[in-house]
Amino acid sequence: MDRLSMTSTTSASSDLLAPATFNGRPAGLWLLRFGRFSLLLDRRAWLASLLLLLATIVLIGLSLGSGTVKIAPFDALAALFNQGETKTIFIVRDLRLTRVLGGGMAGAALGMAGCLLQTLSRNRLANPDTIGIDNAATAFAVASVVGVSTTLAPSAMALTGAITMLSLTFALSGGAGTRGYRFLITGLGLGAICGAATNLMLARAPIDAANTAFPWTVGSLNNRSGVVVTLLAWGVVVMLPLATIVGKRLNLVRLPDAVAQSLGVRVNRLRFFTIVLAGSLTGLAVAVAGPVGMIGLAAPELGRRLAGPRTVPIIPAALAGACFTMLADLLGRTLFSPTEIPVGIVTALVGGPYLLWFLLRTPRGKQL
Amino acid sequence: MSVSPPAALQTQNLVLGYQRTTIIDQLNASIPHGQVTAIIGPNGCGKSTLLAGLAKLHPAKQGHILLDGRDIARLSPREMAQSLALLPQDGVAPDGMTVADLVRFGRHPHTGLLRQWSKDDQQAVVEAIATADLSSMADRPLTTLSGGQRQRAWIAMALAQATPLLLLDEPTAALDLGHQIEVFELIRQLSAEGKTVVMVVHDLASACRYADHLIAMHNGSIIAAGQPKTIVTPELIHQLYGVHCHLIPDPISGTPVIVGVQRSIEHRA
Repeated sequence: MDRLSMTSTTSASSDLLAPATFNGRPAGLWLLRFGRFSLLLDRRAWLASLLLLLATIVLIGLSLGSGTVKIAPFDALAALFNQGETKTIFIVRDLRLTRVLGGGMAGAALGMAGCLLQTLSRNRLANPDTIGIDNAATAFAVASVVGVSTTLAPSAMALTGAITMLSLTFALSGGAGTRGYRFLITGLGLGAICGAATNLMLARAPIDAANTAFPWTVGSLNNRSGVVVTLLAWGVVVMLPLATIVGKRLNLVRLPDAVAQSLGVRVNRLRFFTIVLAGSLTGLAVAVAGPVGMIGLAAPELGRRLAGPRTVPIIPAALAGACFTMLADLLGRTLFSPTEIPVGIVTALVGGPYLLWFLLRTPRGKQL
Repeated sequence: MSVSPPAALQTQNLVLGYQRTTIIDQLNASIPHGQVTAIIGPNGCGKSTLLAGLAKLHPAKQGHILLDGRDIARLSPREMAQSLALLPQDGVAPDGMTVADLVRFGRHPHTGLLRQWSKDDQQAVVEAIATADLSSMADRPLTTLSGGQRQRAWIAMALAQATPLLLLDEPTAALDLGHQIEVFELIRQLSAEGKTVVMVVHDLASACRYADHLIAMHNGSIIAAGQPKTIVTPELIHQLYGVHCHLIPDPISGTPVIVGVQRSIEHRA
């Protein structure tokens, strides 16, 4: 049947058979037009972002409100904008904000980094943990704790470690390679070396120093320096729009390379930018929180699930990462209070089963 | 017999290859404007490499490729993408993507960061889908389509790109006979509407029937080029594939069909 109509189709009949999509915009998308400029927005992805934004705001309120002095979430949010009692404002803005902001921003950065790397490598298991940056950050931070112990030093050292690792991996892999695989594998190898160095240092350090260094090996948001959190926050603010633009291009790299290239995408340059962006985001995140695992894996997955197949869900992944990290930290602080569980342990406890469920369930589509 | 039409694409002493291996050596080919050209030849003769080279997927090691007289090495990726569309063999689309989603990608070279969708873009997509006869399934996921429909969706994407040139690498490779005809008929229709088509084709009878111009390649060089009726001979087939055969005219189209194929003695050794 199909074939018969095929042969009889002429270009003139296309006007008669005007399909449902011919109403000025593609199905499932919003079209905004301002004179010569136009934006095409994926409806489902934006609704997902809105939903996740609401969840983020609720979690910010809950996180700012919980602690020794309980504050209602709404009052905590109001205090953020200097509304309410002076004491509440002081507790929220001066005591708790750094931690919540640090957690949220670190999660957002890891979520974005994971989303970028997974799309680039077309592999759902690629994430910031695999490129060794967090191992390097840990090794450097632990070295600074075991050597000279100050409050700022570990964060600054973690950042230095992340940058060193990123440059070293690039130098050794000689670029991104096909689908970024060469870069990922080089990072994996270097990360293993850093992991071994961390363990060696901890084994040889005095027990007190090893205890102080411990949060850096699992990821924690306790007592983070405001300077580094501010740096991370600015980094996320600057890199979110960049990642969104890169994500739009990466959407084309989901097609075969030859097609993307013949559609005008400079595939190699795009890979390079993607990795630099993902590496910088990971570096800033681990400088604040240490190697918090699973966020970079789980956040893009949730983002994709909610935002649908049309887009690379950078913003949903960022928001989901922020939610996950704040939620994990909230649980770690409140579940066994006054004993605090580092956020990295909570994400691993929740993320491990998630990974198992992901691997064991019936595969429903492999292509990113 | 007649004056050859102007070349849409031309290679001059083209050398293509990877690192140290040379696959195509000193090749001079000419793709006639507004016609369907089929590149034929045995496995590994460099057909797909040539096609990729023409689309600038690999840079030329030596020589030039001229697109309407301009060296493609000097064209930006965007300019390239506005003049030439390529469909590779492995058309795997991301999960959950609909026909319209896929076809929309074809507009990428015509849109920008702040000009993401114009009336022209919408019209090009709708028309491309209609030309590929997929209007009734524009919003269906690609995974629910038949092989032939899916291949037509990919061709529709290339049509939305609105390029004068269309390059296809084995467009019917994984299709059964009926679906092959669907795709070839569509290619003829495009050519009738003025597109220049270059395709790598394995099946000789189809190449003879649906192409205006053949380029026969062996070991990285062209051994014959011209109209199927004039260049396809038992000698050429023997040179290309090392087989003996007879040619008879297709009862309907009159184009050569190969029958009675036998392995030749010297190739058995």
